[in-house]
Parts: sequence; C-alpha cells; structure tokens
Amino acid sequence: MEKIQAFQTSSLSEGILAFARFARSHGLNIGIQETQDALKAAEQGLLASRSLFKNGLKALFCTSPEEGHLFEKLFILFWDTNPIDLEERKGQTKLQGSVNKKANSSLVMLGVGHTPPGDEEASNVSGANAEERLKKTDLSMLSLLEADELEKIARKLFRQMAIRMRRRMKQHRRQGQINLRRTIRKSISAGGEPIELFHRLNTPKKQRLIVLLDVSGSMDKYSFFLLRFICALRENFRQLEAFVFSTSLKRITRALDTRDLGMVFRNISEHADNWSSGTRIGECLEHFSDSYGKRMLNGSPVVLILSDGLDTGDAELLGTELEKIHRRAKRVVWLNPLKGSTNYAPLAKGMRAALPSVDDFQSAHNLDSLLELENILSNA
Amino acid sequence: MIRFLDEHQYVADEEMVTSLYLLLKLNKPLLLEGPPGVGKTEAALVLSQWLDTRLIRLQCYEGLDINTAVYEWNYQKQLLGIRLQEGSNLTVEEKEKQIFSDEYLLKRPLLSAITETEKPPVLLIDELDRSDEEFEAFLLELLSAFQITIPELGTIKAVQKPYVILTSNRTRELSDALKRRCLYHWIDYPDMDKEMRIVKKRLPDIEQNLLLQVVDHVHQFRQRKLVKTPGVSETIDWAESLMALGFREINKEAIEKTLGSVLKSTEDISLVKTDLVTS
Repeated sequence: MEKIQAFQTSSLSEGILAFARFARSHGLNIGIQETQDALKAAEQGLLASRSLFKNGLKALFCTSPEEGHLFEKLFILFWDTNPIDLEERKGQTKLQGSVNKKANSSLVMLGVGHTPPGDEEASNVSGANAEERLKKTDLSMLSLLEADELEKIARKLFRQMAIRMRRRMKQHRRQGQINLRRTIRKSISAGGEPIELFHRLNTPKKQRLIVLLDVSGSMDKYSFFLLRFICALRENFRQLEAFVFSTSLKRITRALDTRDLGMVFRNISEHADNWSSGTRIGECLEHFSDSYGKRMLNGSPVVLILSDGLDTGDAELLGTELEKIHRRAKRVVWLNPLKGSTNYAPLAKGMRAALPSVDDFQSAHNLDSLLELENILSNA
Repeated sequence: MIRFLDEHQYVADEEMVTSLYLLLKLNKPLLLEGPPGVGKTEAALVLSQWLDTRLIRLQCYEGLDINTAVYEWNYQKQLLGIRLQEGSNLTVEEKEKQIFSDEYLLKRPLLSAITETEKPPVLLIDELDRSDEEFEAFLLELLSAFQITIPELGTIKAVQKPYVILTSNRTRELSDALKRRCLYHWIDYPDMDKEMRIVKKRLPDIEQNLLLQVVDHVHQFRQRKLVKTPGVSETIDWAESLMALGFREINKEAIEKTLGSVLKSTEDISLVKTDLVTS
C-alpha cells in the first residue's frame, strides 16, 4: 500500500484517514471503529489545537504505554515531515513496529542437524518396538532421521496429553455451594417448597503457567523439542507466558500465538539474537522479576524452568532471585535434561544454588520424561 | 475543565483532560491504567462531582460474578411472595411472572448504572485486572451497546448512557477486545513539580521546605528497586503524618518514626534505613 504523509493530503479528515493507515502499517492496532471515532471527534471541533489533537488521537488509538511511545514517534513522523527532508529520511527510518526481516533461516541452528548418529545409545535400550525405543532415547543422541520420526510421535503424544489433562480437570469437579437461584425457580411448581436442591459447580481454577526456557549453547540439542513441548502445553493452559533466556531474557508469548509451529520458530528466531550463547540465569531471572514479576507472579502461578543449570553468571544471584520467585509462585518445577544420565548429580554451582527453591526437580532428556510432567502439572 | 479539576484538588495534565473530554463527547468508556496510587480512582470521583451526578462504583475482585455485579433476585422476598400467593387462584405462569418482576429484583452496580433515569451517572469499574477473564468478556456487551440481558426480563437498554471509567493496575494484560472498546490513558508517577502541586493541594498548610524534602525523598525511593513503589497517596500520607508529629524538616528521627506511612514492606524500610545510616 502506498503510504502517504500529511503534506500529501488536502483536508483534515483525509489526513486523519491517512494517519490511521500509516499508524496501522507501523503496528498499531487501529480498526475502522477507531478511525470513525477520530473523525467524529474532529467533526465536533475537539481537535482544535495541536496538543489537543495529539492527545485525543492518542487516547483513541493506543492501548498500552508501549504503544503510546510508538504513537508519539509516529505522530511526529507523519505530521511533521515535509517533502524536502523526505528524501533524506527515506530508507533510514525503521520503527520498532515494523519487523526487521533479517533473512535468518529458521532454527536449523538448533543443533538437531549436526549430531553424530546416536545408534549406540538408542540400541542399548531394549524396547518392544521402534516407537517405544525412540521415546526412551536421549534427545541429544538422535540422528536426523530419527528426530523426524520422533517429532511425529511427539506431536501425537503431546496432543493426547493435552486432551487428557483437560478431561481430568472436568472430572475433578465436585458439588459446590447451593445454587439458590435455581433452587427457588424450580420450587415454584411445588408451591415454594424447595424440594430439590441445586448446586453450583465448582469450576476448577485454570492454572496459570510461566515457562522459562534456556536456549543457551549447552541446551542446544534439547531446545527444539522443549519448545515444541511448550507449544503443546499452551493448548490447555489458557494463560501461559513463555520466555527464552540465555544471556538475556526475551518474552515469546506473542510469538507462540500462531498455531503454525514453523511460524513460531521463525518468529522466535527473529526475536532472539542469543540462541546458543552462554548462560546467565541469575541475571535473566532478575530481569524477569523486575519487568514482569509484578504483572505475572500474582495469583500464584506454576513456574516451569527448563534449563541444565550450567550457569556462567553469579550463582548467588540465581539463588536469591529464584527464592523470590518461589515465594510468589505456587510451585517451581525445574526440568533438567542432564538429570537423565545415571551418574548425574546437581553439582553445578548454579544448580546447587537453585535447588532449595525448587519444588520438583525432574529430568527432561527424552520424550517419556516430558510426558511425565503431565502428572506434576495436573496435580498442581 | 482544568480549572474545575483544580478546584477539586485534582491536578491533571493536558493529556488526561483531553481523555476525559473525549469520554464525555464520544461517550466511549475510558480505561485508565497506571501504577497503584496515582489517582485513577480519584479521577472518576472528581468527574462525578464536576458533572454533579451519581457515582456508581464496582470494585472488582477475583471470583466476581454476575450476581454481585449486575443483579440478583431477592430470594427471601420471593419465598414470602410464593407463600402469600398460596391462597390465590393464580396459575403457575402468573405466579412466576409476579415472582420475577421488578419488585423482587436487587439491582447491583452495573444494572443500576444503566437504569438511572435522571442524569447519566459516572460508572467506575475499579481494578478490572483483578476480575476473571469471564467477567471481562461479559462487560463487552455493556461497554459497547450499553445494555444488559437478564433472562427473566429481557434486554434492558440504558436510559441515560453512563460515563464509564475503568481502572487497572496492569497486574495482568486486559483483553484486546475490551481495550478496543475503550479510550486509553496511561497515568504514570508525576514529576517533582506536579507532585508538589498535588501535595500542596491536599495539604495547604504544609511548609515549602518540608514539601520539597518529602517529594524529593519519595522520588529517590521510586528510583530504587523496592518491593512496593510508593504512589502519590503515600506521599500525601507521609507529609500528613510528618506534619501531625510536628516535624518541620526530614531528619533521622523523622524518618525513623514515620517511614511506615510511605514504605509498606519491611524489606524496603530496612533497606532505606541502613542506606540513610551509612550516608
């Protein structure tokens, strides 16, 4: 769509229309309703002075303080650009709303590719059939072919798990308080004698879940499946917040909104520039509680951390930050892929510091161990 | 309008006033978001005073349902009503109709807001982020069409469209559907100058020196990582308690005695105290 700017329009209403379109193309969520309201406001002479005009449109067009900041920029850019500097500005203005499309390939770099064929490990497990065997194979030991196969199985099993959890929630319902309203209504036919008592169902609380996924180098081989696992969890936790972290923390909840998994990966790799780098868990957790804690840690959610605990940052910080989170969460579950190996002990500095504030410490090295999480989560 | 707000002890900036003005003119609900204690609720109060109309307030909380927010039948009265009807020769349908008539209806805030006949009231839906998502979805009908559906009575349309103000502390993200039906304004902590004006408005007798110190200290508190960041109302409380105790400036003793009125968590208090001792 051709983007016009203020100087190219001839009347105020045309200008407003163009501005709405301009702002929409930069990521503000402006529909017909908002535009109409803006025109209506202009008609009533509300937008007489410049600041009034700006503040008015701001109230109409924005829905969060972040959008407010973006709006301020867009407003200046749109209404104050004159044709002369446009030539210079062209090409160099890139606003935050417009996605910077780096031609980044999706997550081939997740390490699924460059693994030596892991027949050894796999064949050590005696299973009834190939499917069973794959389920028990350590995720890091998969060959490319097997990874493909496992992905198919995983998709199926994760879906079953999601359905199962939902069903279980329904069965948990018990009779609750007496429903006065219905009882009285039905008692009319009996002349006002409440013969039959009706109960109000105790609807189970939908548990909120916060997932923090480690995508640092040491987790490389696992992150791909774990991310898929998070997508599966999303289906039965309506309020799921997801983050990835390594040296810094990124929120990926929005990116998970799309159903298509390929899209999800592309979105996330666009957001995250820190795949497969070092880990500073403590700092990331601190960042989490500072910027999101107030908003997300209320109503005691379940916090799920997927990490190997190999921390290059300050272990003490990790301990205190996790304790802070633990105090406000209903349960802190730590899934560590390394725990799958038989001789693993949580000796890493970071892991040791974290353990006092962890309620469930589980492995996450193969598909079976991930599916076990179902029990923990549905009991939470 | 600014002048009026000023007279009623509400210091508002231009952006805020524009939002309120649009609320009146476009008759769209206004969603105010911001940290606790910056005067979101106060805005609705002042607006109702300005319009000289009733303020109907609905405090949201987790588990708020339609029976407490919109309407409820007066069960005791209904039971009595049924008893009284026993002797009469009414059919069951007639009885039912009588039992579910206006007389037996208890109006809760939302319903009473749209059935108000004289002047459009101000409806304040406070701390919406505390309510469940289900309730938020229910509000959609009210906010866009100003009507409520009661199964027994049918749809009730607003006689006078109320002016709706919603507030939220942003402890969770509100749904896009709701946000799109509202005007939006973010209230942040005020700057030094504005905050001093606010405190002065509330406490006209305060000495300039103390005022400056109080506001300055609060601003320093806000810069830090505290468990609970103090809002404007805390500033006012603090200034008030300092004045009540007869302090004319902030010194060690004053802080020792009154810090509890501005900082509301033991960690914060001990943190600030140790800092002051060392400095």
